[in-house]
Amino acid sequence: MTDTKKTNRKLIIGITALVLLIVVFAAVFLLFRPKTVQGAKSITIEVVDNNAASTIYDLHTDAEYLRQAMEQAEGLEFSGTESEYGMMVETVNGVTADWNVDQSYWGFYVNGDYCNYGIDTQPVVDGDAFKIVYSK
Amino acid sequence: MLLKSSIASKMAAGNKLKKSTYDIAMTGVAIAIIEVCKTALMGAPNIELTSFWVIMFTLFFGRKILFVIPAFILIEGCMFGFGIWWVMYLYAWPLLALLTGIFRKQENVVFWAVLSGLYGLFFGALCAVPYIVNASFNGGIRSGLYAGFTWWVAGIPYDLLHCAGNFVLMMVLYKPVNMVFSYIKKQYS
Repeated sequence: MTDTKKTNRKLIIGITALVLLIVVFAAVFLLFRPKTVQGAKSITIEVVDNNAASTIYDLHTDAEYLRQAMEQAEGLEFSGTESEYGMMVETVNGVTADWNVDQSYWGFYVNGDYCNYGIDTQPVVDGDAFKIVYSK
Repeated sequence: MLLKSSIASKMAAGNKLKKSTYDIAMTGVAIAIIEVCKTALMGAPNIELTSFWVIMFTLFFGRKILFVIPAFILIEGCMFGFGIWWVMYLYAWPLLALLTGIFRKQENVVFWAVLSGLYGLFFGALCAVPYIVNASFNGGIRSGLYAGFTWWVAGIPYDLLHCAGNFVLMMVLYKPVNMVFSYIKKQYS
């Protein structure tokens, strides 16, 4: 077998391995990603602002994702920048956190753990306690 | 004879100094290129040129990449804060440079595209390590592994994008950049 043939064979094996790994990764994501729940849910959203003042919103919602639930929470106002990752929340109840100015940001927690998803893809489950904390 | 050897040693010292000045200048240029490309592509989710440049500069600089990567990591920390993500930078980029160093004799563009793609695919898994450690300290190893796993799973769609981006960018840019690097090496070696 010539060197070129050997090299080509190795490259084909490499590309095949890459494609197989992509398939495996996609399968893992489909199997283990958190599933959304349809129907009524009772959740709480707590906002802790830059003065450590806490406001708690109790709500009954059909929302499947956090963003919808936040939109339904009476009195909770928020805005941010839309991106490919969903909305990047910058202002909550009139308080703006800007990383570029003073390294501050709004941290999102679900049941005490840091949210692994953005608000557009963070699933809402009955009984969830969300916390939105001004962090610096 | 003595005079000759003295001149030769002075010339050798001069060449050494010249080379080191050249290395310092090239290191600065390399870091600037990485930072500019990183900033320019910030809006694109997980499409980046840092992996490409780390591979190319490792092939170009050899072991001297050891000056480029720590400086790049330090600049990133100064610009964006020394958060938990920064800990991952301490081993992820040196790992890519190490892998490149191991396979440095490869000249096939597809090989480098596959390596770069694989790196993009496993980037999320590499990033999960500090989260595993952090959560393990707070709630034990089981809790740490769970936190790391869920964090990794959440990012898989972006890892797939990262993989595709790295693969395509290497396929497109390897040959022209390699040509430029070969020209520079010829001119200054």
